[in-house]
Amino acid sequence: MGIGIAFDGDNMSQDNKQSNRQSAIGNRQCLKVSLFVTCLVDQLWTNVGASAVEVLRRVGCEVEFDDRQTCCGQPAFNTGYRKEARRVAEQFITVFEESDADAIVSPSGSCTAMVHHFPELFADDEAWHRRAKQIAARTYELSSFLVRVLNVEDVGASWQGRLTWHDACHGLRDLNLKSEPRSLICRVRGAEFVELEHADACCGFGGTFSVKYPEISLAILDQKIEAIEKAGVDAVVSGDASCLMQIGGRLSRNGSKVRVMHLAELLASKG
Amino acid sequence: MINSSNQTAREAILKSIRAHLGVGDSFEPRINLRGLPVVNAVVHAQTSENGAAAQSLSKVDVFKKQLEAVNGHCFIAHTELQIVHALTQIITELKGTELNPKRVAVSDASGLERLVRLVAVEVEEVTVTPSPADLFGFDIGITTAQAAIAETGTLVLDSSRERHRLISLVPPVHIAIVDAANIYSTLAETLSVLHRTGNVSPIVTFVTGPSRTADIELTLTIGVHGPQELYVIVNEGQPLVVS
Amino acid sequence: MNHLTAETFDENAKAALTDTHLRGALRNATSLFGERRREAAASLNNWEDLRTQARAIKDETLSHLDKYLEQFVSKAEARGVHFHWAENAAAANEIICGLTAKYAASTVVKSKSMTTEETHLNDALESAGVQVVETDLGEYIIQLAHETPSHIIAPAIHKTKGQIAELFTSELGSAPTDDVAELTRTARETLRDRFAAADIGISGVNFGIAETGTILIVENEGNIRLTTSLPRVHIAVMGIEKVIPRFADVDVFLKLLPRSGTGQRLTAYQSFITGIKSNREDEGPDEVHVVLLDNGRSRMLAQPITRQSLACIRCGACLNACPVYQQIGGHAYGSVYPGPIGAVITPQLIGLEKAAKLPYASSLCGACREVCPVKIDIPALLLHLRAEITEGASKQRIGERLAFSVWAWIMTRPRLYVLSARLSRWLQWLFVRDGKISDKPTTKIFSPLAAWTSGRDLRPLDDSSFRDRWKKELSHR
Repeated sequence: MGIGIAFDGDNMSQDNKQSNRQSAIGNRQCLKVSLFVTCLVDQLWTNVGASAVEVLRRVGCEVEFDDRQTCCGQPAFNTGYRKEARRVAEQFITVFEESDADAIVSPSGSCTAMVHHFPELFADDEAWHRRAKQIAARTYELSSFLVRVLNVEDVGASWQGRLTWHDACHGLRDLNLKSEPRSLICRVRGAEFVELEHADACCGFGGTFSVKYPEISLAILDQKIEAIEKAGVDAVVSGDASCLMQIGGRLSRNGSKVRVMHLAELLASKG
Repeated sequence: MINSSNQTAREAILKSIRAHLGVGDSFEPRINLRGLPVVNAVVHAQTSENGAAAQSLSKVDVFKKQLEAVNGHCFIAHTELQIVHALTQIITELKGTELNPKRVAVSDASGLERLVRLVAVEVEEVTVTPSPADLFGFDIGITTAQAAIAETGTLVLDSSRERHRLISLVPPVHIAIVDAANIYSTLAETLSVLHRTGNVSPIVTFVTGPSRTADIELTLTIGVHGPQELYVIVNEGQPLVVS
Repeated sequence: MNHLTAETFDENAKAALTDTHLRGALRNATSLFGERRREAAASLNNWEDLRTQARAIKDETLSHLDKYLEQFVSKAEARGVHFHWAENAAAANEIICGLTAKYAASTVVKSKSMTTEETHLNDALESAGVQVVETDLGEYIIQLAHETPSHIIAPAIHKTKGQIAELFTSELGSAPTDDVAELTRTARETLRDRFAAADIGISGVNFGIAETGTILIVENEGNIRLTTSLPRVHIAVMGIEKVIPRFADVDVFLKLLPRSGTGQRLTAYQSFITGIKSNREDEGPDEVHVVLLDNGRSRMLAQPITRQSLACIRCGACLNACPVYQQIGGHAYGSVYPGPIGAVITPQLIGLEKAAKLPYASSLCGACREVCPVKIDIPALLLHLRAEITEGASKQRIGERLAFSVWAWIMTRPRLYVLSARLSRWLQWLFVRDGKISDKPTTKIFSPLAAWTSGRDLRPLDDSSFRDRWKKELSHR
């Protein structure tokens, strides 16, 4: 089962205690990572996936990709369709269980958080519950994996320009990602980082909320856009493709020059 | 009529609570709160608002600072004469404002009326414990306070010991005299003192600064239904109040 | 009149979004509230410990609610308080109207109580011929305007001072001014005689202390003190979940509630009322009555996930932090309790069917959970309610259920998933122009797409998927 990161399966990554345990692994060993690319990145933003692979390889990881993966089930779970979410979760667990990778890494805070919710879906089935917990324990969001597990902040990236960071809600509040992305960004050569006003305010996506309540979603989004324009940046970076779709979609509609960029893309840049 | 249907309602509600909690009708009451820390945790949970600074400041200093932070005024007196001077100063200052006090109400606290009558300022009337209806025509209410809380600048009024429930509330100005010896450091300590006999007084009021509201556009306005000015005279001399 | 319902939430929200006055007022108020709360929490170095402690106290109390409630009642009864138990809103109103009749009361003064809003007490009293005067400034304003509160602690937050000034001029004949101090003074003067003349004072209860039988009520204006000390009868309306076990527990809650609600260290007044006065000649009411209200609360005790709803101390912090509330305000929810806490307790109080829209009106951002002083996991509750709604829903959601069934079917079959993606890749050329999907007429075919493109562009699916790229170029390196 690979190096086998010692991990207390009961702790979700909300608990920072794990990160200390994981940091002990250090960054000298060649870890094997199984990429959980997410359906959104797989189809809509392949560059994010390619960038994640690039970055992980650059820091010395071996990357594998199991093409039987599909989705984490979040859309169904968030809309209240737990049976359907459970079926998709079972698919995920079955596929990734077979991997001997040390970690499952994903370029998405919300999808990682969903995987951490898997045990809840199997509260009535002890065997599945255990399997879900084991998978959850091995699943990390990209920036969390780099900083907390590998103890790496400088991934050799360079990017010229002024940029800011949007804290995606699940990453921030479910996975406690706040300093990790920022420390990674601050090591990007040539990049001028500006803290966004209300960086932790929701962008208004919320999954199906964005199309069930488009007017409210847009009203929330416009406040985020206002802060971004005020920051006078060339790009806004985030760790979740869904937020970037929401923010990027409005910036595009406004004809704004500000572009959106996923953290993985930024970290993979050598520009 | 109310009684019997209420007995039914009482039973129905308790039954519903028990049913939804999944417990039977009879089991021993767990009133001792096993495993739930009381005062220790509470003591741990407070303090440090003023942090290290609190060590070097006396309770009176802390009280004054906190009271002034909520728009209260604080005078410190070391003798009876100084208390009277403070009262004189307060009323004189107020005479120069739109509040222009003419009628002063005094509570029945022992010795208070005597002090007020020594004040060297002309007012039209000084009355001890006017009726509630009359109180609305008074401009200043003078009382003592049974205790105070330093960490929040709060006065503690026990209206079973002094007739000040309305005098401290109705006139637009409230002046309170509190003995320094009755100032407690923290809210937790004060609660413990209030509860020390096991029975709490029928009406205890905590007063922290003058009345206020921010209901209109979140703009702070001082002076709503309660007083708009609160003056506290801390008495470091011979205690006035029997604690 | 703005008695909107939860059933028309969608329309309510859309209307609210077009109200620029409202949105401006909300933006100012919620950001100010948020800032003040943040600073107040930061002023203590053990804020997180306090939250944990408070939640532990609430969990303990709620899991033994019957015992603590009985203790509270017995202690207070021994000190002369009369208790009335109301299974539902109608019963509460009947009891209170009965008391007004018993005491031949023609006027009643009231201080702010969300519980009495819940039972629509004012309407019941007025129908019974009793004049009700709201004395909390915010409540007084909305009473004059014939509106309902739009926020749990600042009822008139949706009104600008200009609107309030106009209201005072038209209803009270006061001179036009938008000076806030003057408006406040007008309210004070107008209400002074009402306090003196009232036969009964009605208040809510913030905490009922079981150990001593004490009612604790907190405020800033002084109207609660007047309401509960001038009239000869005091009626306090209390939800059964308001009990806390010990006198000492007050410290934790008084540290959390004012800071979370208004950013204050302490509100101006706390009234600890334990029984009736010791002597007839003492100041204060001759009679104190407490009406205990269930109205669906006991049902919420059934599961730990819903039981935590009852831990709420009604601070309003979640409203201020919520990106949805910040945009649409309280009235759009069409329920007594708005915002995040409203979205989770309203369906439990009035039924899932009537309030089915509310749990979906959230982006699940979690800001509410972050600011809740008693750590209620509102997002988890929202998800729980969504699951209950879809399970219970019969015909309304059949299309959605089918869609997710198909989706799950596809997502559990990798080859089908790949095929569907390929299909979408072909079909999307119906919608893509200039490298993006904008709001062209063709998007109307598919309603979620139309909803998205009404205000946002959409990136098209990439020419080839990641998995194709992996196979072609990325795997061998």
